Amino acid sequence: MGTDRYAYASRLRRVDAIPKLWLSLIPLLLCVCCDSAAVGVATLLLMGGLNVWLGGQGLRTVLRFLKVPLAFLAVGCLTILVRPLSPEEGALWAVELLGRFRWGITAEYRDLSLMVLCKAMGAVSAMYFLSLNTPVTDVTLALERLRVPKLLVELMELIYRFIFVLTDTAGRIRVAQESRLGYQGWRRSLESMGTLVSMLFLRAWRQGERSFTALESRGYKGRLDTLPADAVPGKWLYAVLAGVSAAQLGALALERSLLG
Amino acid sequence: MKRLDSCVRLAAALCMALGVLTVSASAMHIAEGYLPRPWAFGWMAVCVPFVAAGMRSIQKRVRDYPRAKVLLAMCGAFAFVLSALKLPSATGSCSHPTGVGLGAILFGPTATTVLGLIVLLFQALLLAHGGITTLGANVFSMAIVGPFVSWGVYLLLKKLKARPAVAVFCAAALGDLVTYVTTSVQLGVVYGNIGEYLTIFAVTQLPLAVAEGLLTVVVFNVLEKYARDELLELSVL
Repeated sequence: MGTDRYAYASRLRRVDAIPKLWLSLIPLLLCVCCDSAAVGVATLLLMGGLNVWLGGQGLRTVLRFLKVPLAFLAVGCLTILVRPLSPEEGALWAVELLGRFRWGITAEYRDLSLMVLCKAMGAVSAMYFLSLNTPVTDVTLALERLRVPKLLVELMELIYRFIFVLTDTAGRIRVAQESRLGYQGWRRSLESMGTLVSMLFLRAWRQGERSFTALESRGYKGRLDTLPADAVPGKWLYAVLAGVSAAQLGALALERSLLG
Repeated sequence: MKRLDSCVRLAAALCMALGVLTVSASAMHIAEGYLPRPWAFGWMAVCVPFVAAGMRSIQKRVRDYPRAKVLLAMCGAFAFVLSALKLPSATGSCSHPTGVGLGAILFGPTATTVLGLIVLLFQALLLAHGGITTLGANVFSMAIVGPFVSWGVYLLLKKLKARPAVAVFCAAALGDLVTYVTTSVQLGVVYGNIGEYLTIFAVTQLPLAVAEGLLTVVVFNVLEKYARDELLELSVL
């Protein structure tokens, strides 16, 4: 499922989740708070690099995941870049639409859209450090230790486990339907899709009831307690965190001094 | 009922044949780092009371009915899988149902908020749809505004004695639509020109909203036939 597969293969898999959580979140917050293209690029390179060097992920894998948000960002940054202008406004490039509206690019918004693009890519890269190196089960255990309400954590753990059951069910129904030509033509596709979704809901519901019966017969009293796997403390990651933060702030200072 | 159903299916076939369902619904998630800091944290703050209310309602349900926790979790997983299903469209790209309306009608808006929060967090972590800093904004549009509107529309139409299919269709389609309007406004207030975002998303989202409404109707028809007990338990019928 997405990044999770790679998280289990990460070299940092056995390291305690809390230092990894901070090493991902603090650069992420710094990147978002600095509002600077240089910090964005620095975060992108540093956290991408950490994924490859510390996490042992293939460069190609990291690049492939970094491409995911690009579709949204392309649309999002284009709408910042190209905007309606007033007739007398100076622009780098402008075009008259229907002889009345003037649309174009100004230097100010070119810089803004570039900044947003770099910042977002940096932030995504920082987020990937968490999700490519920490399986979700470790994240939920870490959240519990950070005093997130037990009910929320428990729902997260259950939902995470059920996702795989249901994905499998949905996949099998889909194959069965496709092998019976269920997705030939749009009309039949919609019908098949409707059947799939409703059957999936039914199966989910019944599976839920069965799981509850199974839990109850094993003495479930409303709490699911799991033992944490033995983990390496990983305090050295805080040193890495300090280095990354320093580099980000350095990039900010450098950008400020260069742009005056 | 049967005629309406076939009309509905034909309409769906038509709007998909036009090949307009090209942009994936994942474009509705605001990407990580896209919002500047005051907005990112502001939206998170706005969501807190709704999530707290949702938690309280789930806690109450779980106290009265211990089975509810496992069932709600199953429903959350269902929402996640639903959003990952691909509906084929003419150009070969895919669209995804959001499940906003379905969730709100089945579980009520407050429980949907909490489930939505978890699902959006997993989507951010596992699939990089959305993000951690934009979680607040995404929860607000997809797990608060959408479900509350869907639920309100459904209750209203039910009270007005509209046909169930019509009520479900309107609830799901409007929930989908309002979600995208909220996202456009969220983007527009930050970077100016709301209109531009609205038109970009309108072209792609309007047919998607109709398709989602139709899909939800089909789902409800099947559920009504085979899962009456479950629907009664959820007090939907």
